[in-house]
Amino acid sequence: MKTFLPLLGKEVRALFQSPIAYIVIGVFLGLMGYSFTITLFNNKYATLIHIFFQSAGLMLLIVPIITMRLFAEERKAGTLELLLTAPVRESHVVLAKYLASMAVLGAMIGLTGIYALVLGIYGSPDWGAIYSGYLGLILLSSTLVSIGLVVSALTSNQVIAAIVTIGISFSMWMVDSLASMAPDALERILISFSLLARFTPFATGAMYTSDFGFFLSSTLLAMFLAMRALARR
Amino acid sequence: MTAPVIVAQNLTKYYGSRLAVDGVSFDVRPNEVVGLLGPNGSGKSTILRILTGYLYPTAGTARVAGCDVVSQGLEARRQLGYVPEDVPLYTNMRVNEFLAFMGRIRGLDHARLPKAIDRAIDRLSLGRVRTLLISKLSRGYRQRVAIAQALLGEPKLLILDEPTNGLDPRQIIEVRELIRTLSGELSILVTSHILAEMERVAHRVAILLDGKLLSVQTLGAHESNAKYRIRVPGSSALAVQSALREVTGVDFVETLPNDFYSIASNAGATPVVRALVGAGLRVEEVGAAASGLEELFLRLTEGSPR
Repeated sequence: MKTFLPLLGKEVRALFQSPIAYIVIGVFLGLMGYSFTITLFNNKYATLIHIFFQSAGLMLLIVPIITMRLFAEERKAGTLELLLTAPVRESHVVLAKYLASMAVLGAMIGLTGIYALVLGIYGSPDWGAIYSGYLGLILLSSTLVSIGLVVSALTSNQVIAAIVTIGISFSMWMVDSLASMAPDALERILISFSLLARFTPFATGAMYTSDFGFFLSSTLLAMFLAMRALARR
Repeated sequence: MTAPVIVAQNLTKYYGSRLAVDGVSFDVRPNEVVGLLGPNGSGKSTILRILTGYLYPTAGTARVAGCDVVSQGLEARRQLGYVPEDVPLYTNMRVNEFLAFMGRIRGLDHARLPKAIDRAIDRLSLGRVRTLLISKLSRGYRQRVAIAQALLGEPKLLILDEPTNGLDPRQIIEVRELIRTLSGELSILVTSHILAEMERVAHRVAILLDGKLLSVQTLGAHESNAKYRIRVPGSSALAVQSALREVTGVDFVETLPNDFYSIASNAGATPVVRALVGAGLRVEEVGAAASGLEELFLRLTEGSPR
């Protein structure tokens, strides 16, 4: 803990010092605000389902922009050598970067709570569905961030890190569309890996333990792989 | 006798199928400055990276202050301060922020941290720049900041990878002086491909070529006695020897081809030339000869494709 807190502080400060975080949050809120307003005026439904799906789709692009620099930049600048030759654990280094990224995404998702407030003031939304939608977004972010961490830990090129992370994230998002063409045995497996299939219940107000388990275990697995990627080869 | 601070035994490292370090063994004793000397690509930095825990060896073992760098990596890393080549630093931080961050991850608590930072800033003369962003600092100041962070937490061992790279002559002298001063308090392992640099700071040098340790040489004898290459045409070695016999601090070393003689002197070339001319000999050319370390290095690396 003694060495973890300074690592976390450094990561949070680095993310919030860079203009990337503010630009990403600003663009995200702008797009989501536009979508929320248009949908609300057209449909007159007190729901955020469309916001949750659109946010999830944008996350697939936004998270790689945030995670691309985490290790790739340090590897390129040589500071990773400084960090890993100090008496710190790899797990602390990975966890600090994960939590700092989640702080940015948490702030971004949290600010969309204004839409829920607006709905609450002028309508009577289904709060259960709103809570589960937000929880789904956080869990989805968690999996995407840890995938981004693994990829960033494997390269010193930020652009490559971003593109590969986008590729993996999109593949996992829509892998269920392949399922109908696959043999039965494979169909289930493909669906079970689909981020869209896992996220949909949360966005629509249904929560299943298996989906929780998927997001948590995929996060842990990816963070373990990130630690392995940092291993002193 | 106190235990060595570094004990490396049969260190071997492969990068894929390429052998980068080939069965290297050496030690570093307390308060000793040991230089790893070798051409670029000879495995110096790889050895440092193994000792600092950044890389694992393919075979062999290394212990820092008694801790195995693989199985007790965290403990081993607590015992050392490291300045990698090219001096990587967090350039978005200010000097004092960076030192505070490095001090905290080195385990310094709030009570000890301010004192440790002040001491490091004082030792490296960083007072003027302590509140500046590292990105605004010159190469020389960045080098000092990197050394300052390595000294936080009072490590038993300081590891410097090519510490004088990219520095101007004044900064090189400052780093050399710093190494000399620090050697009274801790052990230092330093790499360089500059022979003269090593002769000035190291007690011993380990000469590497193509990942192999060729020799470990104790220095010191070379520090005071500079060697000169002097051309004395038309005279015999005996005449030169007898002309120099009475001159204190001057030793005839050997006869070289083309009427050249190698002569060691601890008082410069002037008394040598004066004695030779005084004895009626004709002196035509005086120059600095290759040092003992240079000669040894050239002999050991002779035939290398480099």
